[in-house]
Amino acid sequence: MSLASGPGRGGSFIEHLPPELRLVIDKHVTYVQSLDTRKDELEYWLTEHLRLSGLYWGLTALHLLRRPDALPRDGILEYVISCLSDSGGFGAAPNHDPHILYTVSGVQILAMIDGFEELDRRVQDIANLQTDSGTFTGDEWGETDTRFLYGALNALSLLGRMDLVDVDKAVKHIQLCANFDGGYGTSPGAESHAGQIFTCVSALAIAGRLDLVDRDKLGEWLSERQLPNGGLNGRPEKQEDVCYSWWVLSSLATIGRLHWIDRDKLRDFILQCQDFELGGIADRPGDMVDVFHTVFGIAGLSLLAYSRSHESNALTHDMPTLAEVDPQ
Amino acid sequence: MASHGVPRVRGVENSAKSEHAKQKEQEKIAKYKTLNDTVKTRIADKQYTLDTFHHTSELLTENPEYYTIWNHRRTILLHLFQPIPHDDPSTESTSDSAPSPVPSPSVQHIHDLITTDLRFLIPLLQKFPKCYWIWNHRLWLLSQASLLLSTPTSIDIWREELGLVSKMLARDARNFHAWDYRRFVVSRHEQQTGKSLTEEEFAYTTKKVMGNLSNFSAWHYRSKLIPRLLDEREAGKEDRKRMLDAEFDFVNEALNTDPYDQSLWFYHQFLVSTLQPDASEKIATELSNRDRVARLEAEIEAIREIEDDTKDCKWLYQSLLKYSAILLDVEAAQKAVTNEDLSVWMLQLETLDPLRAGRWTDLKKRLNM
Repeated sequence: MSLASGPGRGGSFIEHLPPELRLVIDKHVTYVQSLDTRKDELEYWLTEHLRLSGLYWGLTALHLLRRPDALPRDGILEYVISCLSDSGGFGAAPNHDPHILYTVSGVQILAMIDGFEELDRRVQDIANLQTDSGTFTGDEWGETDTRFLYGALNALSLLGRMDLVDVDKAVKHIQLCANFDGGYGTSPGAESHAGQIFTCVSALAIAGRLDLVDRDKLGEWLSERQLPNGGLNGRPEKQEDVCYSWWVLSSLATIGRLHWIDRDKLRDFILQCQDFELGGIADRPGDMVDVFHTVFGIAGLSLLAYSRSHESNALTHDMPTLAEVDPQ
Repeated sequence: MASHGVPRVRGVENSAKSEHAKQKEQEKIAKYKTLNDTVKTRIADKQYTLDTFHHTSELLTENPEYYTIWNHRRTILLHLFQPIPHDDPSTESTSDSAPSPVPSPSVQHIHDLITTDLRFLIPLLQKFPKCYWIWNHRLWLLSQASLLLSTPTSIDIWREELGLVSKMLARDARNFHAWDYRRFVVSRHEQQTGKSLTEEEFAYTTKKVMGNLSNFSAWHYRSKLIPRLLDEREAGKEDRKRMLDAEFDFVNEALNTDPYDQSLWFYHQFLVSTLQPDASEKIATELSNRDRVARLEAEIEAIREIEDDTKDCKWLYQSLLKYSAILLDVEAAQKAVTNEDLSVWMLQLETLDPLRAGRWTDLKKRLNM
């Protein structure tokens, strides 16, 4: 069970958008399933370094589409365990080196399929990645980034072992990455970036320290990510991209400011990015789909439906009935 | 690799690939897998040789996202850095005496390995400027230079990096990998030489924003440099005030040219945020409330002037409301902004920016409107 994580086959063009925009759930399920059968494509082999995250993205998309059994549990479990390294942590594929990025994907998949038994003896390896300054390295080679800090806290919280790390120190490090605009960057001094904001805000949520976030300031910055076409970008004066439907949107939801953007326009933008023929979602309308944009597009739609249903006590009729995600 | 900006190709065209094309693809896959197997086998056999090293070069040129191979490359380099036993018998016998000023062959060897590898990365960075692993490997090479080479040699190597990163930023002025890398190189260079580069870096941000006013990455860096710059200049109260005035003039002039550019507005907001008594980053110090009121009123007035000629720019109304709210916090009895002004601006904002209607509703509550 291993899914191709790159682009590959394409179907309909933007010029051929159907008159009524709706989520083509069955097509997306077929698309994710098809990713396991693409070994005849060069792209399949060139994306081996992403395989475990690809499986997490595909599986999460299926769960949100309420089709969790569309991939076989046994196959998933076998593949995930085959990515466990002897020295600790998960690699992206069998015989790839362990790294926090794939370790968090491995833990997340096992959490979804209820397969934690194998992991108990591995948790210390994640905790050992914390540095003296409170942040986390990606692996034994020492690169640090707030992505890794979030990955470590996410995995440890799923495993119920936050006691293994110095959470206060990690929180202090996140605060050093904060900027005047309310956002966060990759490291102290770095520019605010929606992806990094997701990692820092989510890490603070896991640590129970959202009191440290300047919600109005950050909400203002995040809400300005929406462009007239409804899509969201990741930084000022940049292009829109479906993946920010998760990074920006979930951050807005976490700080209680989801209503500061136009949710209907974002929903339509995501729906336009679908490949209506072969399934999958792209970064922008008319581009090639991949499993990464597919899951973040669907997660965005799910969050939008969830927020709306809380507001009006009913799902609006044109929102797809997706499983709920609650970023907190 | 997530696909960004790759146009969709029709499925039928794709599946109807000619037999020839399909065969070609299979050949490519076979070649790639053979290369991959060669590297894996050699690493499993601990063959940390130049030959294996060249195989990793080949594989990484095909696929620089393959992080495990970068790890293998570093493992090989660490082995190649070791002095070769019996290669130069004189090395061992002189090792107890005073270090020779002439680099020993092994140091030269390390130097060559590091600089050759730095050169190998340049075309890769140009082709894949957003690949984390390439930047990470480059930083690792530089850290090895600091560890293993003489200080002047390693400083030379680090300094050359500033040239490279400027070239990368000339190609894409918003590449955050390059900006992060630049800050790191600057800070290490400063540590090694004991000489600050803050003035040079500040001048660099001026050059970058003059080249493109929308470059928020450069404005952001500027916001981080100014407080440091003032400290290093040991600037007094007047110097600091002059700096604040100059920055407001700079960004206001840019706003007069393009009031629709949000990069400029965020920088303007940064300057305003430094006025607050609890600001984490300050430019002017020892500001009285009267100074604050005067500055806020001046900024509101400047925006109103732009508004005289530009009626369809939501940023004007958004900023007028934002700064008025701060002004009211500082001085409730101020006279510069009336309730009617607030109502007019709010109506304009709601009309011009319906996307963020929920936010304007919250803002109205905050302003008791």
